[in-house]
Amino acid sequence: MAYAYLFKYIIIGDTGVGKSCLLLQFTDKRFQPVHDLTIGVEFGARMITIDGKQIKLQIWDTAGQESFRSITRSYYRGAAGALLVYDITRRDTFNHLTTWLEDARQHSNSNMVIMLIANKSDLESRREVKKEEGEAFAREHGLVFMETSAKTASNVEEAFINTAKEIYEKIQEGVFDINNETPIPWIPSELQWRPVTARSSDLRQLQTGDSCEANGIKIGPQHSTPGSPGSHLGGQQAGGGCC
Amino acid sequence: MNFLRGVMGGQQSAGPQPSGAETIQKLCDRAATSTLIDDRRDAVRALKSLSKKYRYEVGSQALEILLNVLQTDRSDSEIIGFALDTLYNIVSNEAEEAAECEDENPQVSDDLGVHFSELFLKQQENITLLLSVLEEFDFHVRWPGVKLLTTLLKQQGPQVQQIVLVSPMGVSRLMDLLDDSREVIRNDGLLLLQQLTKSNAAIQKIVAFENAFERLLDINAEEGNSDGGIVVEDCLLLLQNLLKYNNSNQNFFKEGSYIKRMKPWFEVGDDNSGWSAQKVTNLHLMLQLVRVLVSPVNPPGATSSCQKSMFQCGLLQQLCIILMATGVPADILTETINTVSEVIRGSQVNQDYFASVNAPSNPPRPAIVVLLMSMVNERQPFVLRCAVLYCFQCFLYKNQKGQGEIVSTLLPSTIDATSLSAGQLLCGGLFSTDSLSNWCAAVALAHALLDNFTQKEQLLRVQLATSIGNPPVSLLQQCTNILSQGDKINRRGSKVQTRVGLLMLLCTWLTNCPIAVTHFLHNAANVPFLTAQISENLGEEEQLVQGLCALLLGICIYYNDNSLENATKEKLKQLIEKRIGKENFIEKLGFITKHEYYSKAAQKPQPIFSSPDHMMFDHEFTKLVKELEVVITKAIYKSSEEDKKEEEVKKSLEQHDNIISRYKSVIREQDLQLEELKQTVTTFQTKNEQNQTIISQQQAQIQQHKDQYNLLKVQLGKDSQHHNVHTSNAQMNGIQSEEVLRLREEIEELQKQQESLRGELSDKDSLIESLKQTQLDSQTVQVTGVSEPNAEYKKELEALRSQLHVQSAEINRLQAERTELLQKIEGKASDSGSSGLSTLSTNTEWEEKIATLLQEIASLKGELKAASEEGSSLRQQLDTAQSTAAILQDEKLQLHQDISESKKEQDDLLVLLADQDQKIFGLKKKLKELGQLVEEEEDDDDLESGDDEDEDEEDEGGREGEN
Repeated sequence: MAYAYLFKYIIIGDTGVGKSCLLLQFTDKRFQPVHDLTIGVEFGARMITIDGKQIKLQIWDTAGQESFRSITRSYYRGAAGALLVYDITRRDTFNHLTTWLEDARQHSNSNMVIMLIANKSDLESRREVKKEEGEAFAREHGLVFMETSAKTASNVEEAFINTAKEIYEKIQEGVFDINNETPIPWIPSELQWRPVTARSSDLRQLQTGDSCEANGIKIGPQHSTPGSPGSHLGGQQAGGGCC
Repeated sequence: MNFLRGVMGGQQSAGPQPSGAETIQKLCDRAATSTLIDDRRDAVRALKSLSKKYRYEVGSQALEILLNVLQTDRSDSEIIGFALDTLYNIVSNEAEEAAECEDENPQVSDDLGVHFSELFLKQQENITLLLSVLEEFDFHVRWPGVKLLTTLLKQQGPQVQQIVLVSPMGVSRLMDLLDDSREVIRNDGLLLLQQLTKSNAAIQKIVAFENAFERLLDINAEEGNSDGGIVVEDCLLLLQNLLKYNNSNQNFFKEGSYIKRMKPWFEVGDDNSGWSAQKVTNLHLMLQLVRVLVSPVNPPGATSSCQKSMFQCGLLQQLCIILMATGVPADILTETINTVSEVIRGSQVNQDYFASVNAPSNPPRPAIVVLLMSMVNERQPFVLRCAVLYCFQCFLYKNQKGQGEIVSTLLPSTIDATSLSAGQLLCGGLFSTDSLSNWCAAVALAHALLDNFTQKEQLLRVQLATSIGNPPVSLLQQCTNILSQGDKINRRGSKVQTRVGLLMLLCTWLTNCPIAVTHFLHNAANVPFLTAQISENLGEEEQLVQGLCALLLGICIYYNDNSLENATKEKLKQLIEKRIGKENFIEKLGFITKHEYYSKAAQKPQPIFSSPDHMMFDHEFTKLVKELEVVITKAIYKSSEEDKKEEEVKKSLEQHDNIISRYKSVIREQDLQLEELKQTVTTFQTKNEQNQTIISQQQAQIQQHKDQYNLLKVQLGKDSQHHNVHTSNAQMNGIQSEEVLRLREEIEELQKQQESLRGELSDKDSLIESLKQTQLDSQTVQVTGVSEPNAEYKKELEALRSQLHVQSAEINRLQAERTELLQKIEGKASDSGSSGLSTLSTNTEWEEKIATLLQEIASLKGELKAASEEGSSLRQQLDTAQSTAAILQDEKLQLHQDISESKKEQDDLLVLLADQDQKIFGLKKKLKELGQLVEEEEDDDDLESGDDEDEDEEDEGGREGEN
């Protein structure tokens, strides 16, 4: 399937808050009531449309258990968007948000769009965290907030699509420099080393007019960004022909 | 400086040479304690040069010091490089092996490498340290670092993997090696990643997440795919590590649309020139990668979706081209066949496509036929023949349509004598003198019958013409004939193989098909042959045949419908008990599953055998045996009473079945009725709906009408008001009606006059009458004398009469006038009020007035005419004026267009100019770089003059527009 952009997402949050269920609801439109522990990470994908453009979402659903934390950290850097999920019926999952957020901010690229998801909104009778509290947390940390239910599918589509919209807007505004890899954010302060910035593969990809990827965003193969060497070359050739 | 001499000048000094260990001790001291970086660097350099020869010594003494150097001297890339090189030499066994080492056996050196690796890994931070060192861009640091980590991974894989996994950004940083512009590092990075991803799903997933597929496929494409060198091979090995047994990554690979990027791998063309060893290796790995995605051991959903996209992107088609191409090396061809097999296995669309593939021969033959020809050809390599068998099996797997097509090529009605068919080839293989062909053909045919009752029945119809003069023999009969007479024919290969193949075919055929069982038992020679085989006490080699014979006999019992008197279940069981013994029979049956080849074949669907002699069992057949062994054992152990009971139960069940079937038929009838009724109901419902819609439409119409009616009512109300207004208007013109009233009064007056005149007239008449009487009296009195006064009277009468006539004429005239007036008043009550007033007085006046009015009207009309004539003439003038205006408008539009065109031209010229400008700038730059002086002013002038011209043109265009 042809797509204009490809976004990589990760889903993070405490164990049992419904990360895998959110993904399953989004990709397969079904709900699995039995909690099946995620081992490491699982992968899912779906195509959506924003602004008339086909956008492919590749989503990595991470294990919430502490023992997998070090593995799941490896997925932060390459992601363009993250869904940070807590469970409205368990206050501790809400209390852990700060840790999650710190972790994400430390290991991800600075432009990663993070959406705060308050899941299990169908269990109103067992609610422990008020909607206002979630909203306040999101406001304080500059996140987008949404209450969802993977069971009833309420707001699930919106959660994923709104995140994509946010990323898409950032691209339109030019916040994401999708043609150049930003320096790796992890720089040990006590050591001196040169960050690898210019990537030979990026140059190569641009020259061949092929797709390129950075920050968890990939431009579709049929899409050529303005100002890329390919189009520039084309313009020059046309000019030469006229003379 | 004493020790320095010992190290550097040790060779020249006349004194006793210091031992290696001593020198190394000194160097270690220096590297550890010297305050000058240069000294430390020299010491490490020296250690490096000694590390190959004195590996143990350097390793045991310097390891800690070198690790220290890595930590403390990060700023000096040179010393880091030396340290890493030294560490690599210590840990790696390759260097040791490369260097001469006569007295040490490789086992010891292996141990040495493992030993030092363990030492290195004692501190987990050492790996973290190494990972951070790898960030150093300097070639002399990064390269040995990569090699060291690769070696450590080789020797202590799982441990290093765990450390890398938990160190933040660990995998990401190693992935960056693939983007290193220095090919050596990129290529060694590939080797490192190969070791890193070995059997660790978590790392495999992270590597895939870091765009490994994209990067590796890019590298492959750059290196020329299958024509590329060992780098391509390394990429493919890494891809294999990432995908094999990793369903999540396979899913990601498929979802990322990378399958279509595999297609160019197989565009190898038809040229026989380039089949280098590297290319063969590369293609092998590529084919294996395709197989990883569609392996029968993958989850069924994943395999089928990959199969689907392989067909959609044309990968299968490309593989089929290689399949039918000439000059492809045999092992590539074999692997291609295996790959195609797994791409089509169980996928109806792909199987249908494969059935339609034709070989580019003349006449074109189906690919299946061409492949089967190789399968039954003894001169083809063994592995190739196995591959073809696998391909055929995969083609028929869950493919009833394909099974039907294959069997139909054997049936008398559809047989085509002119061309070679799949069925003919299989029969030929079945009865050839090559045991391998026998076996393959038997298994292939068995797959055409698998789980397909219809084809099992159909195959019973197949007749074979054995030799001229003899009657045709059925295929089933011929199989059993060969089985029993097998020893008489001289065959290549093992006789056991042929018999095992045929027995497997028969077992598959008879399973779940009582008609075939009856056919088999109908030949009286078959059962004695089987019992003889089973009961004989033969060598180990024959045990397998015995087991299969027992299985066949068991099938004959289990699937027996007792239609043959001589061979009912009961009788066969008695035979077993008498001739063989139950225990013995079961033991022989058990030989099959105990056979070593059985368990091998049960593992995978693909027929893989280390040698042709080992080709004994088919995968699908092993499944069949597993099912049958249990039920046959039960059937044999069951006593006759139990059997009878079972029969009774069966009978009662049959009765029940009969009852049930009766009920079923009733239900079916009812179902039909129900269906009919449902249909009628639906028709009624539709009708009802139609009617309701009509009703609703009509209601709507009615409502509309009502609305209209109401509206009209309302309007009417308004209208009546209007009418009142009209009447009041009429009253407003009240003068007229007043006049009318006056006229009427006058008329009444006239009538009164007339009345009075009439009264006078009647008086006069009566007077005349009386006069006449007196005259008559007088006549009678004076007959003659009265004649003269009589005449006088007559005259007087005449005068009176004429007077009367005149008066009556006048009355008539007056009456006529009156009626005329009345009519006129009524007709022109509204119009001519005032004129009517005057007419009342006298007729003439009235007429005159009308005449004058008419005249006035005429004159007015005349004036009007004149005026309209004037108007028309004016209108004509206007028309002419308008047409001229339109023409002018058109002209204006054209001029506007002219202007816009010229503007566009101008824009184009400006763009051109900008391009040229850039170009000129570039050229100038280049020239400057080349050291040429550029006359800038001249160029600028040229450009400006060009601009001027453009402006001129534009001005002209503008002027034209104005004109």
